[in-house]
Amino acid sequence: MFFEKYKKKTDGTIRFYDLHSTRTKILCVFIFILCLLAVVIALFPPIWVFLASFRSIKDFVKTPRIWPEKFDFKLFAKTWNDLKFFKYYINSMIVMAGSVVCSVVFNGILAYGLAILRPKGHKIIFSLVMLSMLIPATTSMVALFVNITNLGLSHSYIPLWLQIGANAFYVILFKQFFEGLPKDLIEAAKLDGCGYLQTFSKIIMPLSKSIVMVIIIFTINAVWSDFLLPYLILNNSGKETVMVKLYMFQGGTATAVDILRAVLYSILPPIALFVIFQKQITDSAATGALKG
Amino acid sequence: MAKKENDLLLHKSERKPWMRKKDMIGWLIMLPSIILFLFFVWEPLLESVRLSMYTAKGFRLDTFVGLDNYKRLFQYPVFLKALGNTFVYIFWSLVLGFFTPMVLAVLITETMHLKGFFKMGVYFPNIVPGLATVLMWRYLFGEGKSGVFNIMLSGLGIKPVVWFNNPMLTIPLIVIIMTWRAAGSTTLIYIANISSIDPALYEAATIDGAGILKRIRYITVPSVFSLAKTLLIIQIISVFQILYEPLVLKQGGPNNASVSMMMLVWNYANREMNYPMAAATSVVICVILIILSAVYFKVTKSKEN
Repeated sequence: MFFEKYKKKTDGTIRFYDLHSTRTKILCVFIFILCLLAVVIALFPPIWVFLASFRSIKDFVKTPRIWPEKFDFKLFAKTWNDLKFFKYYINSMIVMAGSVVCSVVFNGILAYGLAILRPKGHKIIFSLVMLSMLIPATTSMVALFVNITNLGLSHSYIPLWLQIGANAFYVILFKQFFEGLPKDLIEAAKLDGCGYLQTFSKIIMPLSKSIVMVIIIFTINAVWSDFLLPYLILNNSGKETVMVKLYMFQGGTATAVDILRAVLYSILPPIALFVIFQKQITDSAATGALKG
Repeated sequence: MAKKENDLLLHKSERKPWMRKKDMIGWLIMLPSIILFLFFVWEPLLESVRLSMYTAKGFRLDTFVGLDNYKRLFQYPVFLKALGNTFVYIFWSLVLGFFTPMVLAVLITETMHLKGFFKMGVYFPNIVPGLATVLMWRYLFGEGKSGVFNIMLSGLGIKPVVWFNNPMLTIPLIVIIMTWRAAGSTTLIYIANISSIDPALYEAATIDGAGILKRIRYITVPSVFSLAKTLLIIQIISVFQILYEPLVLKQGGPNNASVSMMMLVWNYANREMNYPMAAATSVVICVILIILSAVYFKVTKSKEN
Protein backbone atom coordinates (compact mmCIF):
# COMPACT_ATOMS: atom_id res chain seq x y z
CA MET A 1 0.00 0.00 0.00
CA PHE A 2 2.54 2.54 1.23
CA PHE A 3 4.94 1.86 -1.61
CA GLU A 4 2.38 1.60 -4.44
CA LYS A 5 2.42 5.38 -4.90
CA TYR A 6 6.16 5.35 -5.66
CA LYS A 7 5.31 3.89 -9.08
CA LYS A 8 4.26 7.39 -10.11
CA LYS A 9 7.39 9.05 -8.75
CA THR A 10 9.31 10.94 -11.45
CA ASP A 11 11.26 13.61 -9.57
CA GLY A 12 13.95 13.32 -6.93
CA THR A 13 16.29 10.41 -6.44
CA ILE A 14 14.32 7.37 -5.32
CA ARG A 15 12.41 5.47 -8.01
CA PHE A 16 10.01 2.55 -7.76
CA TYR A 17 12.68 0.15 -9.01
CA ASP A 18 14.83 1.04 -5.99
CA LEU A 19 12.20 -0.40 -3.69
CA HIS A 20 13.24 -3.99 -4.34
CA SER A 21 15.65 -3.73 -1.46
CA THR A 22 14.33 -3.71 2.08
CA ARG A 23 16.86 -1.05 3.05
CA THR A 24 15.35 1.42 0.60
CA LYS A 25 11.88 0.59 1.87
CA ILE A 26 12.98 1.36 5.43
CA LEU A 27 14.62 4.55 4.17
CA CYS A 28 11.35 5.67 2.56
CA VAL A 29 9.41 5.13 5.77
CA PHE A 30 12.15 6.91 7.71
CA ILE A 31 12.03 9.92 5.34
CA PHE A 32 8.25 10.03 5.75
CA ILE A 33 8.62 10.07 9.54
CA LEU A 34 11.24 12.85 9.36
CA CYS A 35 8.86 14.94 7.23
CA LEU A 36 6.10 14.42 9.80
CA LEU A 37 8.54 15.48 12.51
CA ALA A 38 9.45 18.65 10.59
CA VAL A 39 5.79 19.61 10.29
CA VAL A 40 5.25 18.91 14.00
CA ILE A 41 8.16 21.26 14.83
CA ALA A 42 6.71 23.87 12.47
CA LEU A 43 3.21 23.69 13.93
CA PHE A 44 3.99 23.03 17.60
CA PRO A 45 4.80 26.58 18.82
CA PRO A 46 1.51 28.22 17.72
CA ILE A 47 -0.45 25.21 19.00
CA TRP A 48 1.33 25.49 22.33
CA VAL A 49 0.44 29.20 22.51
CA PHE A 50 -3.20 28.21 22.01
CA LEU A 51 -3.00 25.60 24.78
CA ALA A 52 -1.10 27.88 27.19
CA SER A 53 -3.71 30.59 26.67
CA PHE A 54 -6.21 28.49 28.65
CA ARG A 55 -4.04 28.52 31.78
CA SER A 56 -4.02 30.93 34.67
CA ILE A 57 -0.79 32.83 35.32
CA LYS A 58 -0.28 30.99 38.63
CA ASP A 59 -0.61 27.62 36.93
CA PHE A 60 1.61 28.80 34.07
CA VAL A 61 4.48 29.87 36.32
CA LYS A 62 4.32 27.12 38.93
CA THR A 63 3.23 23.90 37.22
CA PRO A 64 5.36 22.20 34.61
CA ARG A 65 2.75 21.01 32.13
CA ILE A 66 1.73 21.58 28.53
CA TRP A 67 -1.91 20.46 28.43
CA PRO A 68 -4.24 22.90 30.27
CA GLU A 69 -6.48 21.76 33.13
CA LYS A 70 -9.67 22.92 31.46
CA PHE A 71 -10.66 24.74 28.27
CA ASP A 72 -12.28 27.95 29.44
CA PHE A 73 -12.89 30.35 26.57
CA LYS A 74 -13.95 33.08 29.01
CA LEU A 75 -10.26 33.81 29.65
CA PHE A 76 -9.85 34.74 25.98
CA ALA A 77 -12.73 37.19 26.12
CA LYS A 78 -11.39 38.68 29.36
CA THR A 79 -7.91 39.39 27.95
CA TRP A 80 -9.45 40.65 24.70
CA ASN A 81 -11.46 43.20 26.67
CA ASP A 82 -8.78 44.02 29.27
CA LEU A 83 -6.17 44.79 26.64
CA LYS A 84 -8.74 46.60 24.44
CA PHE A 85 -7.66 44.47 21.54
CA PHE A 86 -10.67 45.38 19.42
CA LYS A 87 -9.35 48.92 19.05
CA TYR A 88 -5.96 47.74 17.81
CA TYR A 89 -7.58 45.34 15.36
CA ILE A 90 -9.56 48.27 13.95
CA ASN A 91 -6.39 50.39 13.73
CA SER A 92 -4.58 47.61 11.88
CA MET A 93 -7.57 47.23 9.55
CA ILE A 94 -7.48 50.97 8.76
CA VAL A 95 -3.76 50.78 7.93
CA MET A 96 -4.38 47.67 5.88
CA ALA A 97 -7.29 49.05 3.84
CA GLY A 98 -5.39 52.19 2.77
CA SER A 99 -2.20 50.20 2.14
CA VAL A 100 -3.91 47.69 -0.14
CA VAL A 101 -5.30 50.49 -2.31
CA CYS A 102 -1.97 52.35 -2.46
CA SER A 103 -0.01 49.15 -3.04
CA VAL A 104 -2.07 48.07 -6.05
CA VAL A 105 -2.54 51.55 -7.58
CA PHE A 106 0.92 53.10 -7.23
CA ASN A 107 3.03 50.00 -7.82
CA GLY A 108 0.69 48.93 -10.63
CA ILE A 109 0.83 52.31 -12.37
CA LEU A 110 4.61 52.48 -12.19
CA ALA A 111 4.86 48.96 -13.60
CA TYR A 112 2.38 49.96 -16.36
CA GLY A 113 4.69 52.84 -17.27
CA LEU A 114 7.80 50.63 -17.20
CA ALA A 115 6.32 47.62 -18.99
CA ILE A 116 3.89 49.07 -21.52
CA LEU A 117 4.16 52.85 -21.99
CA ARG A 118 7.96 52.75 -21.83
CA PRO A 119 8.56 56.50 -22.27
CA LYS A 120 12.05 57.59 -23.26
CA GLY A 121 14.42 57.17 -20.32
CA HIS A 122 12.20 54.78 -18.36
CA LYS A 123 15.19 52.47 -17.93
CA ILE A 124 16.71 54.90 -15.40
CA ILE A 125 13.68 54.51 -13.16
CA PHE A 126 13.80 50.76 -13.58
CA SER A 127 17.46 50.57 -12.53
CA LEU A 128 16.75 52.77 -9.51
CA VAL A 129 13.87 50.46 -8.52
CA MET A 130 16.12 47.41 -8.89
CA LEU A 131 18.83 49.12 -6.87
CA SER A 132 16.47 49.82 -3.98
CA MET A 133 15.65 46.15 -3.83
CA LEU A 134 19.23 45.39 -2.76
CA ILE A 135 19.28 47.78 0.15
CA PRO A 136 16.80 46.87 2.86
CA ALA A 137 14.40 49.64 3.83
CA THR A 138 15.30 49.24 7.50
CA THR A 139 18.67 50.94 6.95
CA SER A 140 17.09 54.23 5.88
CA MET A 141 14.29 54.07 8.44
CA VAL A 142 15.77 56.72 10.74
CA ALA A 143 16.14 59.34 7.99
CA LEU A 144 12.64 58.56 6.72
CA PHE A 145 11.23 58.95 10.21
CA VAL A 146 12.99 62.30 10.69
CA ASN A 147 11.58 63.47 7.32
CA ILE A 148 8.07 62.35 8.20
CA THR A 149 8.23 64.10 11.58
CA ASN A 150 9.54 67.32 10.04
CA LEU A 151 6.59 67.28 7.63
CA GLY A 152 4.27 67.01 10.63
CA LEU A 153 2.99 63.62 9.48
CA SER A 154 3.84 61.59 12.58
CA HIS A 155 0.90 60.16 14.52
CA SER A 156 -0.89 59.81 11.18
CA TYR A 157 -1.80 56.83 8.99
CA ILE A 158 -0.97 58.67 5.77
CA PRO A 159 2.77 57.84 5.60
CA LEU A 160 2.02 54.17 6.36
CA TRP A 161 -0.53 53.99 3.54
CA LEU A 162 1.71 55.71 1.02
CA GLN A 163 4.88 53.90 2.02
CA ILE A 164 3.75 50.56 0.59
CA GLY A 165 3.01 52.33 -2.72
CA ALA A 166 6.78 52.44 -3.22
CA ASN A 167 7.66 48.76 -3.04
CA ALA A 168 10.29 47.62 -5.53
CA PHE A 169 9.37 43.94 -5.23
CA TYR A 170 5.70 44.54 -6.06
CA VAL A 171 6.65 46.79 -9.01
CA ILE A 172 8.80 44.00 -10.44
CA LEU A 173 6.05 41.40 -9.95
CA PHE A 174 3.53 43.65 -11.72
CA LYS A 175 5.99 44.51 -14.49
CA GLN A 176 6.76 40.88 -15.26
CA PHE A 177 3.06 40.09 -15.43
CA PHE A 178 2.18 43.07 -17.64
CA GLU A 179 4.97 42.18 -20.06
CA GLY A 180 3.32 38.80 -20.58
CA LEU A 181 -0.07 40.31 -21.51
CA PRO A 182 -1.14 40.03 -25.18
CA LYS A 183 0.00 43.18 -27.01
CA ASP A 184 -2.94 43.07 -29.46
CA LEU A 185 -5.45 43.82 -26.73
CA ILE A 186 -3.57 46.93 -25.67
CA GLU A 187 -3.22 48.05 -29.29
CA ALA A 188 -6.92 47.42 -29.87
CA ALA A 189 -7.78 49.54 -26.85
CA LYS A 190 -5.68 52.36 -28.28
CA LEU A 191 -7.51 52.12 -31.62
CA ASP A 192 -10.84 52.19 -29.82
CA GLY A 193 -9.82 55.55 -28.43
CA CYS A 194 -9.03 54.42 -24.90
CA GLY A 195 -6.87 56.96 -23.04
CA TYR A 196 -3.71 55.82 -21.28
CA LEU A 197 -5.27 55.71 -17.86
CA GLN A 198 -8.41 54.09 -19.22
CA THR A 199 -6.32 51.38 -20.86
CA PHE A 200 -4.83 50.72 -17.43
CA SER A 201 -8.09 50.61 -15.50
CA LYS A 202 -10.37 49.03 -18.12
CA ILE A 203 -8.04 46.67 -20.00
CA ILE A 204 -4.88 45.89 -18.01
CA MET A 205 -6.30 45.60 -14.50
CA PRO A 206 -9.18 43.24 -15.38
CA LEU A 207 -6.66 41.02 -17.23
CA SER A 208 -4.32 41.00 -14.22
CA LYS A 209 -6.67 39.74 -11.51
CA SER A 210 -4.35 36.90 -10.53
CA ILE A 211 -1.30 39.10 -9.90
CA VAL A 212 -3.43 41.76 -8.17
CA MET A 213 -4.64 39.00 -5.85
CA VAL A 214 -1.05 37.98 -5.06
CA ILE A 215 -0.04 41.60 -4.39
CA ILE A 216 -3.07 42.10 -2.12
CA ILE A 217 -2.24 38.97 -0.11
CA PHE A 218 1.43 40.00 0.17
CA THR A 219 0.45 43.53 1.20
CA ILE A 220 -2.03 42.39 3.84
CA ASN A 221 0.53 40.03 5.34
CA ALA A 222 3.33 42.60 5.22
CA VAL A 223 1.23 45.38 6.72
CA TRP A 224 -0.17 43.20 9.47
CA SER A 225 3.33 42.06 10.51
CA ASP A 226 5.04 45.41 10.06
CA PHE A 227 6.38 46.86 13.27
CA LEU A 228 9.30 49.25 12.85
CA LEU A 229 7.82 52.23 10.99
CA PRO A 230 4.35 51.88 12.60
CA TYR A 231 6.05 51.92 16.00
CA LEU A 232 8.09 55.04 15.22
CA ILE A 233 5.11 56.89 13.77
CA LEU A 234 2.15 55.70 15.84
CA ASN A 235 3.68 55.10 19.27
CA ASN A 236 1.64 56.94 21.95
CA SER A 237 -0.79 58.31 19.38
CA GLY A 238 -3.77 56.13 20.29
CA LYS A 239 -3.62 54.79 16.72
CA GLU A 240 -1.26 51.87 17.46
CA THR A 241 -1.56 48.76 15.31
CA VAL A 242 -1.70 45.23 16.75
CA MET A 243 2.07 44.71 16.34
CA VAL A 244 2.95 48.01 18.02
CA LYS A 245 0.68 47.11 20.93
CA LEU A 246 2.18 43.64 21.14
CA TYR A 247 5.60 45.20 21.67
CA MET A 248 4.28 47.69 24.23
CA PHE A 249 2.68 44.99 26.40
CA GLN A 250 6.15 44.10 27.52
CA GLY A 251 7.18 46.04 30.55
CA GLY A 252 3.53 46.81 31.23
CA THR A 253 1.31 45.07 33.74
CA ALA A 254 0.31 42.30 31.33
CA THR A 255 1.20 38.80 32.60
CA ALA A 256 2.87 36.06 30.58
CA VAL A 257 -0.45 34.38 29.76
CA ASP A 258 -1.96 37.72 28.77
CA ILE A 259 0.92 38.27 26.37
CA LEU A 260 0.52 34.76 24.97
CA ARG A 261 -3.17 35.41 24.37
CA ALA A 262 -2.24 38.69 22.67
CA VAL A 263 0.23 36.72 20.51
CA LEU A 264 -2.60 34.37 19.63
CA TYR A 265 -4.85 37.26 18.58
CA SER A 266 -2.06 38.69 16.49
CA ILE A 267 -1.42 35.46 14.57
CA LEU A 268 -5.05 34.46 13.94
CA PRO A 269 -5.66 36.82 10.97
CA PRO A 270 -2.52 35.72 9.05
CA ILE A 271 -3.40 32.08 9.76
CA ALA A 272 -6.93 32.64 8.40
CA LEU A 273 -5.45 34.31 5.33
CA PHE A 274 -3.05 31.39 4.85
CA VAL A 275 -5.78 28.77 5.19
CA ILE A 276 -7.94 30.51 2.58
CA PHE A 277 -5.18 31.35 0.08
CA GLN A 278 -2.60 28.63 0.77
CA LYS A 279 -2.15 27.79 -2.91
CA GLN A 280 -1.56 31.37 -4.06
CA ILE A 281 0.78 32.00 -1.13
CA THR A 282 2.97 28.90 -1.47
CA ASP A 283 3.06 29.13 -5.29
CA SER A 284 4.18 32.74 -5.31
CA ALA A 285 6.61 32.06 -2.46
CA ALA A 286 8.47 29.51 -4.56
CA THR A 287 8.62 31.60 -7.72
CA GLY A 288 8.68 35.11 -6.33
CA ALA A 289 10.95 34.90 -3.33
CA LEU A 290 14.13 34.58 -5.34
CA LYS A 291 13.41 37.68 -7.33
CA GLY A 292 12.95 39.46 -4.03
CA MET B 1 -1.26 52.18 -54.65
CA ALA B 2 -0.70 55.91 -54.46
CA LYS B 3 -3.14 56.18 -51.61
CA LYS B 4 -1.27 53.59 -49.60
CA GLU B 5 2.04 55.40 -50.08
CA ASN B 6 0.40 58.59 -49.06
CA ASP B 7 -0.86 56.91 -45.89
CA LEU B 8 2.58 55.67 -45.05
CA LEU B 9 4.07 59.11 -45.55
CA LEU B 10 1.46 60.66 -43.33
CA HIS B 11 2.19 58.10 -40.69
CA LYS B 12 5.89 58.81 -40.78
CA SER B 13 5.53 62.56 -40.52
CA GLU B 14 3.13 62.13 -37.62
CA ARG B 15 5.27 59.73 -35.69
CA LYS B 16 7.82 62.08 -34.19
CA PRO B 17 5.65 64.64 -32.37
CA TRP B 18 3.27 61.85 -31.35
CA MET B 19 6.13 59.94 -29.74
CA ARG B 20 7.13 62.98 -27.75
CA LYS B 21 3.62 63.45 -26.48
CA LYS B 22 3.46 59.78 -25.63
CA ASP B 23 6.72 60.04 -23.66
CA MET B 24 5.43 63.00 -21.74
CA ILE B 25 2.16 61.29 -20.86
CA GLY B 26 4.09 58.18 -19.83
CA TRP B 27 6.22 60.18 -17.42
CA LEU B 28 3.17 62.05 -16.12
CA ILE B 29 1.40 58.78 -15.39
CA MET B 30 4.42 57.39 -13.56
CA LEU B 31 5.06 60.64 -11.69
CA PRO B 32 2.99 59.99 -8.53
CA SER B 33 4.66 56.61 -7.99
CA ILE B 34 8.09 58.09 -8.68
CA ILE B 35 7.45 60.77 -6.07
CA LEU B 36 6.57 58.05 -3.55
CA PHE B 37 9.79 56.18 -4.35
CA LEU B 38 11.72 59.43 -4.00
CA PHE B 39 10.21 60.23 -0.64
CA PHE B 40 10.15 56.76 0.93
CA VAL B 41 13.14 55.00 -0.62
CA TRP B 42 15.71 57.04 -2.53
CA GLU B 43 15.86 60.32 -0.65
CA PRO B 44 16.10 58.72 2.84
CA LEU B 45 19.19 56.79 1.69
CA LEU B 46 20.99 60.05 0.86
CA GLU B 47 19.41 61.83 3.79
CA SER B 48 20.92 59.32 6.23
CA VAL B 49 24.37 60.17 4.88
CA ARG B 50 23.70 63.90 5.37
CA LEU B 51 22.12 63.37 8.79
CA SER B 52 25.11 61.31 9.93
CA MET B 53 27.42 64.31 9.48
CA TYR B 54 25.55 66.65 11.81
CA THR B 55 24.76 66.94 15.47
CA ALA B 56 21.11 67.44 16.29
CA LYS B 57 18.80 68.53 19.03
CA GLY B 58 15.87 66.17 18.65
CA PHE B 59 14.72 66.48 15.05
CA ARG B 60 16.51 69.77 14.39
CA LEU B 61 19.97 69.61 12.80
CA ASP B 62 22.54 71.58 14.75
CA THR B 63 26.12 71.82 13.43
CA PHE B 64 28.07 70.11 10.71
CA VAL B 65 30.68 67.81 12.25
CA GLY B 66 31.93 65.89 9.23
CA LEU B 67 32.94 62.35 10.05
CA ASP B 68 33.06 62.85 13.83
CA ASN B 69 29.97 60.71 14.39
CA TYR B 70 31.68 57.83 12.59
CA LYS B 71 34.81 58.29 14.68
CA ARG B 72 32.72 58.15 17.83
CA LEU B 73 30.90 55.10 16.54
CA PHE B 74 34.08 53.16 15.81
CA GLN B 75 35.38 53.94 19.31
CA TYR B 76 32.11 52.88 20.95
CA PRO B 77 32.75 49.46 22.58
CA VAL B 78 29.13 48.31 22.06
CA PHE B 79 29.47 48.98 18.31
CA LEU B 80 32.57 46.80 18.14
CA LYS B 81 30.73 44.16 20.13
CA ALA B 82 27.75 44.36 17.71
CA LEU B 83 30.08 44.09 14.71
CA GLY B 84 31.71 41.04 16.26
CA ASN B 85 28.33 39.54 17.11
CA THR B 86 27.29 39.88 13.48
CA PHE B 87 29.99 37.36 12.57
CA VAL B 88 28.82 35.03 15.35
CA TYR B 89 25.26 35.36 13.98
CA ILE B 90 26.52 34.60 10.48
CA PHE B 91 28.45 31.56 11.73
CA TRP B 92 25.45 30.06 13.48
CA SER B 93 23.05 30.90 10.69
CA LEU B 94 25.35 29.01 8.33
CA VAL B 95 25.58 26.01 10.66
CA LEU B 96 21.87 25.88 11.52
CA GLY B 97 20.00 27.86 8.92
CA PHE B 98 21.76 27.15 5.65
CA PHE B 99 21.50 23.36 5.46
CA THR B 100 18.11 22.90 7.12
CA PRO B 101 16.05 24.01 4.08
CA MET B 102 18.19 21.94 1.73
CA VAL B 103 17.72 18.79 3.83
CA LEU B 104 13.99 19.47 4.23
CA ALA B 105 13.64 19.95 0.46
CA VAL B 106 15.36 16.63 -0.29
CA LEU B 107 13.21 14.83 2.28
CA ILE B 108 9.93 16.27 1.00
CA THR B 109 10.84 15.55 -2.63
CA GLU B 110 11.51 11.92 -1.76
CA THR B 111 8.12 11.22 -0.19
CA MET B 112 5.01 10.36 -2.12
CA HIS B 113 2.56 10.72 0.74
CA LEU B 114 1.07 13.97 2.11
CA LYS B 115 3.48 15.97 -0.03
CA GLY B 116 1.16 18.98 -0.25
CA PHE B 117 0.57 18.87 3.49
CA PHE B 118 4.32 18.77 4.20
CA LYS B 119 4.93 21.76 1.93
CA MET B 120 2.16 23.78 3.59
CA GLY B 121 3.32 22.66 7.02
CA VAL B 122 6.94 23.72 6.69
CA TYR B 123 5.89 26.99 5.04
CA PHE B 124 3.39 27.81 7.77
CA PRO B 125 5.82 29.55 10.22
CA ASN B 126 6.59 32.11 7.49
CA ILE B 127 3.20 33.72 7.87
CA VAL B 128 3.57 34.21 11.61
CA PRO B 129 4.56 37.88 12.17
CA GLY B 130 8.19 38.30 13.26
CA LEU B 131 7.40 40.00 16.54
CA ALA B 132 4.80 37.37 17.49
CA THR B 133 7.33 34.64 16.65
CA VAL B 134 9.89 36.04 19.05
CA LEU B 135 7.39 36.51 21.90
CA MET B 136 6.15 32.97 21.38
CA TRP B 137 9.63 31.47 21.55
CA ARG B 138 10.57 33.57 24.54
CA TYR B 139 8.01 31.62 26.56
CA LEU B 140 8.80 28.30 24.89
CA PHE B 141 12.34 28.74 26.18
CA GLY B 142 11.02 29.71 29.60
CA GLU B 143 13.51 29.45 32.44
CA GLY B 144 12.80 27.32 35.49
CA LYS B 145 11.01 24.01 35.46
CA SER B 146 7.77 25.22 33.88
CA GLY B 147 9.36 26.27 30.54
CA VAL B 148 8.27 23.97 27.73
CA PHE B 149 11.73 22.84 26.69
CA ASN B 150 12.73 22.37 30.31
CA ILE B 151 9.68 20.12 30.77
CA MET B 152 10.90 18.06 27.81
CA LEU B 153 14.46 17.96 29.16
CA SER B 154 13.25 16.88 32.59
CA GLY B 155 11.64 13.90 30.84
CA LEU B 156 15.19 12.96 29.85
CA GLY B 157 16.39 13.62 33.40
CA ILE B 158 18.22 16.85 32.54
CA LYS B 159 18.09 19.81 34.93
CA PRO B 160 16.36 23.08 33.83
CA VAL B 161 18.48 25.28 31.55
CA VAL B 162 18.50 29.11 31.74
CA TRP B 163 18.48 29.40 27.90
CA PHE B 164 18.80 33.04 26.87
CA ASN B 165 20.47 34.04 30.13
CA ASN B 166 23.47 31.94 29.19
CA PRO B 167 25.52 34.26 26.94
CA MET B 168 26.97 31.26 25.11
CA LEU B 169 23.47 30.11 24.12
CA THR B 170 21.78 33.43 23.29
CA ILE B 171 22.89 33.78 19.66
CA PRO B 172 22.47 30.10 18.68
CA LEU B 173 18.96 30.13 20.17
CA ILE B 174 18.09 33.31 18.27
CA VAL B 175 19.31 31.65 15.07
CA ILE B 176 17.12 28.60 15.85
CA ILE B 177 14.11 30.92 16.13
CA MET B 178 15.00 32.64 12.85
CA THR B 179 15.48 29.29 11.14
CA TRP B 180 12.12 28.05 12.41
CA ARG B 181 10.43 31.03 10.83
CA ALA B 182 12.38 31.37 7.58
CA ALA B 183 13.36 27.83 6.54
CA GLY B 184 9.99 27.02 4.95
CA SER B 185 10.07 29.51 2.11
CA THR B 186 13.65 28.59 1.21
CA THR B 187 12.62 24.92 1.30
CA LEU B 188 9.91 25.58 -1.30
CA ILE B 189 12.45 27.26 -3.57
CA TYR B 190 14.79 24.27 -3.28
CA ILE B 191 11.91 21.84 -3.93
CA ALA B 192 11.02 23.69 -7.13
CA ASN B 193 14.69 23.58 -8.11
CA ILE B 194 15.11 19.86 -7.38
CA SER B 195 11.93 18.93 -9.31
CA SER B 196 13.30 20.68 -12.37
CA ILE B 197 16.32 18.35 -12.53
CA ASP B 198 16.14 16.13 -15.61
CA PRO B 199 14.95 12.64 -14.44
CA ALA B 200 17.07 11.04 -17.17
CA LEU B 201 20.16 12.03 -15.17
CA TYR B 202 19.04 9.89 -12.23
CA GLU B 203 18.11 7.01 -14.48
CA ALA B 204 21.47 7.10 -16.23
CA ALA B 205 23.22 7.15 -12.86
CA THR B 206 21.17 4.17 -11.70
CA ILE B 207 22.15 2.17 -14.78
CA ASP B 208 25.75 3.01 -13.96
CA GLY B 209 25.13 1.46 -10.56
CA ALA B 210 24.92 4.54 -8.35
CA GLY B 211 23.01 4.01 -5.11
CA ILE B 212 20.55 6.51 -3.64
CA LEU B 213 23.08 8.41 -1.53
CA LYS B 214 25.50 8.61 -4.45
CA ARG B 215 22.75 9.96 -6.70
CA ILE B 216 21.98 12.67 -4.15
CA ARG B 217 25.65 13.47 -3.75
CA TYR B 218 26.50 13.62 -7.46
CA ILE B 219 23.25 14.85 -9.05
CA THR B 220 21.00 16.65 -6.57
CA VAL B 221 23.68 18.54 -4.65
CA PRO B 222 25.56 19.93 -7.70
CA SER B 223 22.25 20.96 -9.29
CA VAL B 224 21.15 23.06 -6.33
CA PHE B 225 24.65 24.40 -5.70
CA SER B 226 24.36 27.61 -7.73
CA LEU B 227 20.97 28.35 -6.20
CA ALA B 228 22.46 27.67 -2.77
CA LYS B 229 25.24 30.21 -3.41
CA THR B 230 22.65 32.88 -4.18
CA LEU B 231 20.51 32.02 -1.18
CA LEU B 232 23.58 32.02 1.03
CA ILE B 233 24.32 35.65 0.24
CA ILE B 234 20.68 36.65 0.66
CA GLN B 235 20.79 34.94 4.06
CA ILE B 236 23.95 36.77 5.12
CA ILE B 237 22.39 40.09 4.07
CA SER B 238 19.34 39.31 6.23
CA VAL B 239 21.59 38.66 9.25
CA PHE B 240 22.59 42.33 9.18
CA GLN B 241 18.97 43.28 9.75
CA ILE B 242 18.41 41.22 12.89
CA LEU B 243 16.49 43.40 15.31
CA TYR B 244 13.34 41.89 16.80
CA GLU B 245 14.96 38.84 18.32
CA PRO B 246 17.65 40.42 20.53
CA LEU B 247 15.41 43.41 21.24
CA VAL B 248 12.44 41.44 22.53
CA LEU B 249 14.32 38.61 24.17
CA LYS B 250 16.99 40.27 26.28
CA GLN B 251 17.38 43.86 24.98
CA GLY B 252 20.61 42.73 23.37
CA GLY B 253 21.82 41.12 26.57
CA PRO B 254 22.84 39.34 28.66
CA ASN B 255 25.66 41.88 28.91
CA ASN B 256 25.45 42.77 25.17
CA ALA B 257 26.03 39.12 24.22
CA SER B 258 23.37 39.28 21.49
CA VAL B 259 23.42 42.97 20.55
CA SER B 260 23.10 43.41 16.76
CA MET B 261 23.92 46.32 14.45
CA MET B 262 20.27 47.17 13.86
CA MET B 263 19.69 47.14 17.62
CA LEU B 264 22.29 49.90 17.96
CA VAL B 265 20.31 51.95 15.44
CA TRP B 266 17.18 51.26 17.49
CA ASN B 267 18.86 52.28 20.74
CA TYR B 268 20.27 55.50 19.31
CA ALA B 269 16.94 56.46 17.76
CA ASN B 270 14.50 55.38 20.45
CA ARG B 271 16.37 55.56 23.73
CA GLU B 272 18.83 58.40 23.21
CA MET B 273 16.90 60.27 20.49
CA ASN B 274 20.31 60.71 18.87
CA TYR B 275 19.26 60.55 15.22
CA PRO B 276 22.63 61.49 13.69
CA MET B 277 24.37 58.60 15.46
CA ALA B 278 21.51 56.28 14.44
CA ALA B 279 21.95 57.46 10.86
CA ALA B 280 25.73 56.94 11.02
CA THR B 281 25.21 53.35 12.17
CA SER B 282 22.67 52.81 9.36
CA VAL B 283 25.15 54.12 6.81
CA VAL B 284 27.82 51.69 8.04
CA ILE B 285 25.35 48.78 7.68
CA CYS B 286 24.39 50.08 4.25
CA VAL B 287 28.00 50.22 3.05
CA ILE B 288 28.60 46.64 4.22
CA LEU B 289 25.41 45.52 2.45
CA ILE B 290 26.37 47.28 -0.79
CA ILE B 291 29.72 45.47 -0.74
CA LEU B 292 27.94 42.15 -0.11
CA SER B 293 25.46 42.89 -2.91
CA ALA B 294 28.36 43.55 -5.27
CA VAL B 295 29.77 40.14 -4.33
CA TYR B 296 26.30 38.67 -4.87
CA PHE B 297 26.16 40.09 -8.38
CA LYS B 298 29.60 38.81 -9.20
CA VAL B 299 28.57 35.35 -8.06
CA THR B 300 25.31 35.32 -10.03
CA LYS B 301 27.08 36.73 -13.10
CA SER B 302 29.71 34.03 -13.04
CA LYS B 303 26.89 31.52 -12.63
CA GLU B 304 25.33 32.70 -15.89
CA ASN B 305 28.63 32.38 -17.70
